[in-house]
Amino acid sequence: MKRTNKLFGVAALFNSPNEIIHAAKVIADNGYKNFDINTPYPVHGMDKAMKLKPSKLGYITLAFGLSGAVFAMLFMYWAMSIDYPQVIGGKPFFAFPAFVPVTFEVTVLLATLSTVIGLLTFMFGFPHNKQPLLDTNYMKNVSADKFGAVIYADDPQFNESKVKELFTSLKSHSVELVFEIEKETYPIFQPKFLMLLLAVAVITSGTTYFVLNKLLFMQPFNWMVYQDKITAQEKSDFFSDQYGMRTKVEGTVASGFIPYPYSGQTNPTETLSNPLLPTKKVLMLGQKKFLTFCSPCHGNYADGDSRLRGQFPNPPTLHSARAREFSDGMIYHIITNGQNVMSSYALQVTREERWAIVNYIRVLQRAKNAKDSDIEEIQKGLINASR
Amino acid sequence: MLEEKENMPKQESPETKDMHYWRSFEDLYKNPQIVEASHHEFKEGVTDDFNPSELSHISRRKFLALVGASAALAGAGCADYPDKGEIIPYNKKPEEVTLGKPNYYASTSNACAHICGVLVKTREGRPIKVEGNPDHPVNKGKICLKCQAAILNLYDPERLKEPLQKVSGGVFINSTWKKVDEAIISSLDKIGDKEIAIITNRINSPSTLKVLNNFTKKYPTTKIYSYELFNDEVRNSAWQKCYGSGSFPLIKWNEAKVIVALESDFLGSEGNRVENSALYVEGRDVDKIKNFNRLYVVEGNLSLIGMNADHRIRLRPHAQFDFIISLISEVSKKIGKGSSITNSLSLADFSKKYDVPLKKINSLVSDLIKNQGKSIIHSGTTLPEEVHIAVYYLNDLLGNSALYRADSSEILLFPLTKSAEWENLVSKMNSGQVGAVIHFNSNPVFHLADDYGYEKAISKVPTVVSLNEKENESSEFGNFILPINHDFESWGDYKTRTGFYSLQQPVIASLYNSRQKEAILLTWVNGKAESYSEKLYHEYLINRWKDEVYPTLNSALPFDRLWFGALHDGVVNFNESADTIGSFYTAALAALNQSKTEISRYSIVLKNNYSIGDGRFADNGWLQEMPHPVSKITWDNYAAVSFNSAKELNLKNNDLVEIKVGSRKLQIPVFLQPGSADKTFTIELGYGRRKSGIVGTNVGFDASVLQSKTNSLSAYLFVGDISKLKGKHELVTAQEHHMFDNELTKDAALKRKVIREGTVAQYLNNPKFLREDSEIELQTVYPFILYPGVKWGMSIDLNKCLGCGDCVVACTSENNIPIVGKDQVAKGREMHWIRIDRYYSGEVDDPNTSLQPMLCQHCDHAPCENVCPVLATTHSPDGLNQMAYNRCVGTRYCSNNCPYKVRRFNYFNFRDHFRDSYQQNDSFNLIYNPEVTVRSRGVMEKCTFCIQRIMDAREEAIRQNKNLKGSDVKTACQEACPTTAIQFGDINDKESEFQKYRNHELGYYVLEELNIKPNVTYIAKLRNTHPEEA
Amino acid sequence: MNIDYSQEIPVVEGGLKQAHIEELISKPLDTKPDKKFLIAISISGSLLLIGAICLGLTFYYGIGLWGNNQPVGWGFDIVNFVFWVGIGHAGTLISAILFLLRQRWRTGIARFAEAMTIFAVMCAGIFPAIHTGRPWLDGYLFPYPNQNQLWINFSSPLIWDVFAVSTYFTVSFVFWFVGLIPDFATLRDRTTSKIKKTIYSIFSLGWRHSHRNWQHYEKAYMLLAGFATPLVLSVHTIVSFDFAVSIIPGWHTTIFPPYFVAGAIFSGFAMVVTVLIFVRKIFNLEHIITLNHLERMNKVILATGMMVGYAYATEFFIAWYSGNQFETFVFVNRALGPYAWAYWIMVSCNVLFPQLFWIKKIRRSIPIMLVIVIFVNVGMWFERFVIVVSSLHRDFLPSSWGYYTPTLYDIGILLGSFGLFFTLVILFTKTLPVVSISEVKAVADGAQPSHHGGNH
Repeated sequence: MKRTNKLFGVAALFNSPNEIIHAAKVIADNGYKNFDINTPYPVHGMDKAMKLKPSKLGYITLAFGLSGAVFAMLFMYWAMSIDYPQVIGGKPFFAFPAFVPVTFEVTVLLATLSTVIGLLTFMFGFPHNKQPLLDTNYMKNVSADKFGAVIYADDPQFNESKVKELFTSLKSHSVELVFEIEKETYPIFQPKFLMLLLAVAVITSGTTYFVLNKLLFMQPFNWMVYQDKITAQEKSDFFSDQYGMRTKVEGTVASGFIPYPYSGQTNPTETLSNPLLPTKKVLMLGQKKFLTFCSPCHGNYADGDSRLRGQFPNPPTLHSARAREFSDGMIYHIITNGQNVMSSYALQVTREERWAIVNYIRVLQRAKNAKDSDIEEIQKGLINASR
Repeated sequence: MLEEKENMPKQESPETKDMHYWRSFEDLYKNPQIVEASHHEFKEGVTDDFNPSELSHISRRKFLALVGASAALAGAGCADYPDKGEIIPYNKKPEEVTLGKPNYYASTSNACAHICGVLVKTREGRPIKVEGNPDHPVNKGKICLKCQAAILNLYDPERLKEPLQKVSGGVFINSTWKKVDEAIISSLDKIGDKEIAIITNRINSPSTLKVLNNFTKKYPTTKIYSYELFNDEVRNSAWQKCYGSGSFPLIKWNEAKVIVALESDFLGSEGNRVENSALYVEGRDVDKIKNFNRLYVVEGNLSLIGMNADHRIRLRPHAQFDFIISLISEVSKKIGKGSSITNSLSLADFSKKYDVPLKKINSLVSDLIKNQGKSIIHSGTTLPEEVHIAVYYLNDLLGNSALYRADSSEILLFPLTKSAEWENLVSKMNSGQVGAVIHFNSNPVFHLADDYGYEKAISKVPTVVSLNEKENESSEFGNFILPINHDFESWGDYKTRTGFYSLQQPVIASLYNSRQKEAILLTWVNGKAESYSEKLYHEYLINRWKDEVYPTLNSALPFDRLWFGALHDGVVNFNESADTIGSFYTAALAALNQSKTEISRYSIVLKNNYSIGDGRFADNGWLQEMPHPVSKITWDNYAAVSFNSAKELNLKNNDLVEIKVGSRKLQIPVFLQPGSADKTFTIELGYGRRKSGIVGTNVGFDASVLQSKTNSLSAYLFVGDISKLKGKHELVTAQEHHMFDNELTKDAALKRKVIREGTVAQYLNNPKFLREDSEIELQTVYPFILYPGVKWGMSIDLNKCLGCGDCVVACTSENNIPIVGKDQVAKGREMHWIRIDRYYSGEVDDPNTSLQPMLCQHCDHAPCENVCPVLATTHSPDGLNQMAYNRCVGTRYCSNNCPYKVRRFNYFNFRDHFRDSYQQNDSFNLIYNPEVTVRSRGVMEKCTFCIQRIMDAREEAIRQNKNLKGSDVKTACQEACPTTAIQFGDINDKESEFQKYRNHELGYYVLEELNIKPNVTYIAKLRNTHPEEA
Repeated sequence: MNIDYSQEIPVVEGGLKQAHIEELISKPLDTKPDKKFLIAISISGSLLLIGAICLGLTFYYGIGLWGNNQPVGWGFDIVNFVFWVGIGHAGTLISAILFLLRQRWRTGIARFAEAMTIFAVMCAGIFPAIHTGRPWLDGYLFPYPNQNQLWINFSSPLIWDVFAVSTYFTVSFVFWFVGLIPDFATLRDRTTSKIKKTIYSIFSLGWRHSHRNWQHYEKAYMLLAGFATPLVLSVHTIVSFDFAVSIIPGWHTTIFPPYFVAGAIFSGFAMVVTVLIFVRKIFNLEHIITLNHLERMNKVILATGMMVGYAYATEFFIAWYSGNQFETFVFVNRALGPYAWAYWIMVSCNVLFPQLFWIKKIRRSIPIMLVIVIFVNVGMWFERFVIVVSSLHRDFLPSSWGYYTPTLYDIGILLGSFGLFFTLVILFTKTLPVVSISEVKAVADGAQPSHHGGNH
């Protein structure tokens, strides 16, 4: 380390603890403020000799310790009973006794760390390897077995010659002048630094990318993410066609799906009878399905007047005499089997829904061709309702 | 902004040129200070003495720069996501399928001779589970574990995929159906007058029989041989001796007050145990305590039924004859009718001779006499004919024939082949008079007694065709091995009883290039390989029904409606009279006057085993891993021996012995079985398959080598000698066996109130005895967490639980539970979510056995939850203790802290670990329940109360906007339990049927005093002991 | 407290001068590694390697390679964890508690003990991390905000462990480092080699032995000691909660916290003695780590050993007195059941052998002491084995009783942990001053001003 010729301080070495205590006393009594004593180990009674005030370190510790405790307890309360409340073994969400150990640990952790960091950085201003005293003959001695005193040049009543003779009067066996260290300066945008910047950026982002998008989807992290089981619409390598979903063997009957006996017949001689009653629930269902599947062609009120009119052979109205004479079973047959242009809706509409649609169509038909009697009935209904 | 100073002059110029924006009047009127000030970003003295060059290496700015840059790039890095795979929808959606909802197909399982109706659960057209068909008159919605596990064989990766043909050098090579069909047809055509032997298991399907007959018509020299390793031949022949005709009738177990089982495990390994146990437990309903039945079991080795006996008498099978005849003479003396048998001992002498407690026998006698017409004596098929005759006689004497069922009786479509005929066949083979042998899905080399010499003879036959699902001992001797369809890929109809047909339909198209075995024969009958089509047998079946069956049914429906209806229900009922029971021929009694069996040597008994049947399921991992209901041993069979006999031969567990019967020898490890009769070695058959795939080959020991074509007594009962060998063979159990003599561990389960029992008498004079027995005041410091709405609970009635283990396999199949293999069971790492605990108490020679299905108790104050560091296991709003597999890191703390030890840990990826990743074959992916996560290595798992079923029910309830009820959900174990011992439901629903069990006065919780509030109620077992005994 | 140390036998023997002390302590740092050193390091290194291999295989195939099973979910993994944490207690205890008690004799061994603490806690820390089924997800054990919006279970003893052990490690490390700073400065100023100098400078942070620093430094040291003491007690208390909080008979016991702490100190001291015996020989530090030190430590061992023995007795008494049949069974089963052998090893090693320390001769005889402390180490390992395994293997339901047999992998990893520990110790002796230079200087005769006595 290059040194300037600016004086930093005058340092003197002594041999015994007694001497140094004495020296410290004298220097302090002479009213020096910026002086220091360097000893290889703490010499007892030095505080008094140097007239030092007791250390304030304890307050940092206290402050951080308490805040640690409070923080830990509050955080656990929030996490366990507000943000993520879970029933655990029937315990209450805020299980105070169970939170004590963690609280204690956090307290101690914060207290100790704050103490040490406070000590080293704020009180000592460490790390500080450019301090002029370092790397001097003086320092070598005090860190071995000598005891040293130093008076800094920035002391208000510092005067090199005075200090020197003070030390000699104290029988210091060697007095040494310590000079300031030359300050090195670093320009900011030197290419070296920019390279470093770039490298760091690339490495961090590279690792982030790798971890988030590659590593976390590699074994073993992806175990259970990819399941051996085959869910709906999944591919299976077992079958040559790779369809995970199979179709049933022809001629078999799944429970609840006895094949429709009259499929394929255009005018079946006999048909099924309607199992559903026109209850409100059924009719609502029927309406829903009718509007979804039938109305695009037959129109919302089954008049055969949908926007498709003219683009196809016109879809018939369901209010024709013929349509009204159809048995329920026949309408069901048509939905199931299809008729002329109309294709089968068996796959889109379940059996129950088909019967519901049939019932709904009946409602439409009756509404379209209402008789006075119906109106009377309705009024009766209204009157009953009003009563 | 770092360049503040240098830039200042430059900034001046644009500002003047540009249109001037002003911020204030001073600004507007160009107040010099303001102008000056506006050039500094900061106020005076803030930055003017700022000198960038003085910054040390890491200044705040550099730091921010670094962070900023990396953060930006990092953010950019999170842009892409890995591929989530393709979605493949149906081209044309079948009407049945709603994605994510299962379909059920009624069918019939041919897993054993007792045909049961099944419902196969399919998802998107893939069978994933087998359940019982409720409409089926025999099994009434329940099936045994074999049936359930059959689905594993469907997906067995080792099934034959192509027809195989043997080429020179004795190796099999893949061939095509066309080639093999032609080859076989040609060789059949020039068979001349040589015999064609078709060897099959017992024939249960009329249509199959018809196919065989057609074949015989085409090739007249054909002869059909059928066998069944375990059959009722002895019983039936005895029956015919006693009643002239017909077969041994079915029994109304439900009406019997006193049941005496002689060496007959009709609740476990004998007969249709699903049906039997369902009927039996009707007499075990604590709510109808008055008609509790009493079960006496007289047997050599402790069996499943023995574990459930009220009184058990251990007696070596050879003494059964003495026992029954002395019983007869005693009874006939007491009731003063019937002819006493000349050479019978008095019961006193008998009990002295075989040291059987006389007290027990006396109470048996008194019970029999008290309950005439309401008691039944039943003898096992291992016993010789004369014992059966004696038993029928005694039943007749006591008027117990009232308990023979008249509504339906068993039917044997085609008689089983007698040993004489087998010998004949073998000699013909040796003399070259047999031109072709067809193994019709059978395995005679393994099943036929060795001294027939079938194995040697077969090699002398020019054409040997094996029709099998996979290679077996017999198939290797053939020139052709043809892959056949699994039950669930096949069409068929079955008739094993009067009064109904049960139908079989495929639930998935053949997975491999296999064919229905009947269709193969039909192709040959047609004489052209081309004549085969997928539909061949399907149509054949329909036609047979149209022409032969339909007319007899005289139904109002048109045929196809009826047919589809039949397929839909899986069964067709119709009126058919069962064969009537005549009167007893006393002439038969002559057989009883025969000499005693000598007693010095050892009795060797061969038994049917509980899981792998006659060996056809040896390659089924689920069944191999299923612990033996009594000994809890897995992956092995063994010779069970009593402690006394073991002492005199100085045998310990796992010691190898040589069992010598005549010239026939068997090496097998012994197992010291409490309650086993002295001088009796009991061995289960079906193990020791020499060729049964990766899983089943050389598991256990083949005891059938002891069988002989000419056996004086019966095919399963011998006298022999035992000699101890040097070696050992480790038998692994799923439950530690502890010594009786050790006071520390003796009766531990009872002392700890894990098992709580009483007698019927006790219950009758104080229904609350259990509660009063120990009322513990339980306190808790926690406020109770209430579960509004549904809260799930289970109850298990220990009176009804027989310990069969159907629930275990059902759970395995429902919840994707892996097979771990023998080595891991040995370490105690089996994965079953539900297990059946078996506890002995009392004396080692005559133990009381208690059974207890144990599964996650879903405790309200679950200890496992408290200790999980990552909240992977917590409580759900409906009171379930739930596992989040993905969150679990696997500390195993929960398992340690679980007092029931029902948690299971994936120490390995067992699917990978077992038999070098056998379970990771693609085919097994199809069997998984799509609703259940397949767990990976390092994850804890346990019973979930079938959460997937609960969720399914909940969705359904929401869809139909009604409230979810407890009865809407059936857990897999509950569904499978043949005796309805397991009940599941809503604890909060006070009206429900389930409450009856939940708050039963016999109900108790295991380890109640821990106060962890389990949700599984156990109904204490009541033993219906004889008053004098109790 | 005012103790007159002038009565006390000198802490540093042979009237060493400051310079000599420094010379002596920093000698191993300046000299090239000799034969003894190389042999030692190669032995411990190969142990470490074995452990690493076993661990690698375990990671690849899964912990199924170990003996753990149903019902014994925890085996060697947790046994080792508790064992090492226990070992890790002596250091902080010696440096903190003895510091607070003004036991000046601690100076000779404090540094070393602290180092051992840190290494032991490192070994301990490995096991909770690897014992999980999915170690790569151990991060789940820390409360970090995540996209799944999950938190951890703060009422699980395992989480308490995580906090306790990590805190304990951090604090001990800081404590240790703070103690090292002045020594680094000394080394910095006495070394001649350039590289060493820069390294030492970096770690010394520019320490100048300034008394203005010494003042705060001593205060800080005081505070740290003050915190380390309850911490050291809390850590093993919390480790004992792993068991005490569960409901398993044999675990669910209120005596565990004090019992575990006593045990920890017991085993910790034993381990320190074991190692010191060798160190003081190898590096000829007999004058600084004197026989008196060892004897004092043996006294502590004797005391704690008897506490442990008392705890064993109490457990049995309570088991009987509670009348809880599960408790009773577990303890009878411990003494007479399948794991009796382990139990009796434990009792004899922990309770019987240490009694020999009543005799002064034995307390002061190196070879006998060595044998005994090694016995104690073994015994304490078995204590943990007995607690973990014998309680689990037969708990409530007789149906799910089992037996636990360790596999080669278990043993390999155990050896590995010892390998790691000793490797670190050996490297430490070669790279850092095994005795606190400044502290020893401070207690050497004539180190303090005569007219100031010794009072702080």
